[in-house]
Amino acid sequence: MINILLNDEAVTVAVGTSLTQVLERQTIALNGVALVLNAEVVPRSRWSHIMCQHDDKLEVFSVVAGG
Amino acid sequence: MALTDQAFIQYSRQILLADVGEHGQNIFSQSHVLIIGVGGLGNLAAQYLAAAGVGQITLVDGDTIERSNLPRQLLFSVEDLGSNKAQVAAEKLMQAYPDSHINSLQHYLTLDNAPEIFNARQQFSLLLDCSDNFSTRQLINQLAIEHQVTLVSASAANFQGQLLSVNQQLRPDTGCYHCLYPSDMGVSQSCQTVGVLGPMVGTLASMQALMSLNLLLSLNAKADQRQVSGRQTQVDDQPLLGQLYRFDGAKFTWRQAKLTRDPDCLVCSA
Ligand SMILES: [Zn+2]
Repeated sequence: MINILLNDEAVTVAVGTSLTQVLERQTIALNGVALVLNAEVVPRSRWSHIMCQHDDKLEVFSVVAGG
Repeated sequence: MALTDQAFIQYSRQILLADVGEHGQNIFSQSHVLIIGVGGLGNLAAQYLAAAGVGQITLVDGDTIERSNLPRQLLFSVEDLGSNKAQVAAEKLMQAYPDSHINSLQHYLTLDNAPEIFNARQQFSLLLDCSDNFSTRQLINQLAIEHQVTLVSASAANFQGQLLSVNQQLRPDTGCYHCLYPSDMGVSQSCQTVGVLGPMVGTLASMQALMSLNLLLSLNAKADQRQVSGRQTQVDDQPLLGQLYRFDGAKFTWRQAKLTRDPDCLVCSA
């Protein structure tokens, strides 16, 4: 198991867990959020190809469209 | 072009800055900034740019002023209710800041009327997204790419604010708005449904205006360098381009992330 931070909260995931699987496990709708991994945006099309590493910092957030 | 004595006095506090100087003030006065949306963001961003001496500003909005706008759209007052936002903002700003010429287009931006705005006579220095809905934001991104204008996009709702700037020519690696937020994304938050405090929008508008003035200076400095060196160089010293800033106005935290191009993006990678 490895430890990651998801929106500042500690989460434990299995080795080989993809970014997509992290979101699915948290029941976060994939088409409702954007994702930042270690201070870099990861486009949605890449999420299933990237596996979590120990101490990864994930930020998941919605679009803000108001103004 | 030499500044008049009056301009030198009026803009002295910004001319004092080493990064501005008389040269930078001239850049501001020769710039033309296009602002889509004259709500909470557009009000204050336009006012800061006009007050800074930006020579030309085009405001686009089809919306009329409502009572519920007054807590955050500070150019407007009760006697303006029912009038067009772009028109009233242009009139008030030109009265207060006669160095700035403000055009107003009193309709919403659509794909059909975009050629009227982006025509051969207009060369925009920057495009500010101050709109209030996701589909207009996607359209603005598409037009910024098509017309090779640097996009400065700000948004606010509830206690969340976001700010980013992108330019496909200068920083293709950081992609576009659609790379970050694909158009099939679900959007739940708008000011109409979740509410917003005036200073929350004002904070993002101020940051958007500050980023815009910085970009006007640095993009022009880069253009000057290219003219001198006679070759196109990759701009790697534009620290503001290609970054996403997110502000939480309840926790008072800022977060920064580098934007990344989506190789499958339908808009910038097509
Ligand atoms: Zn893109």
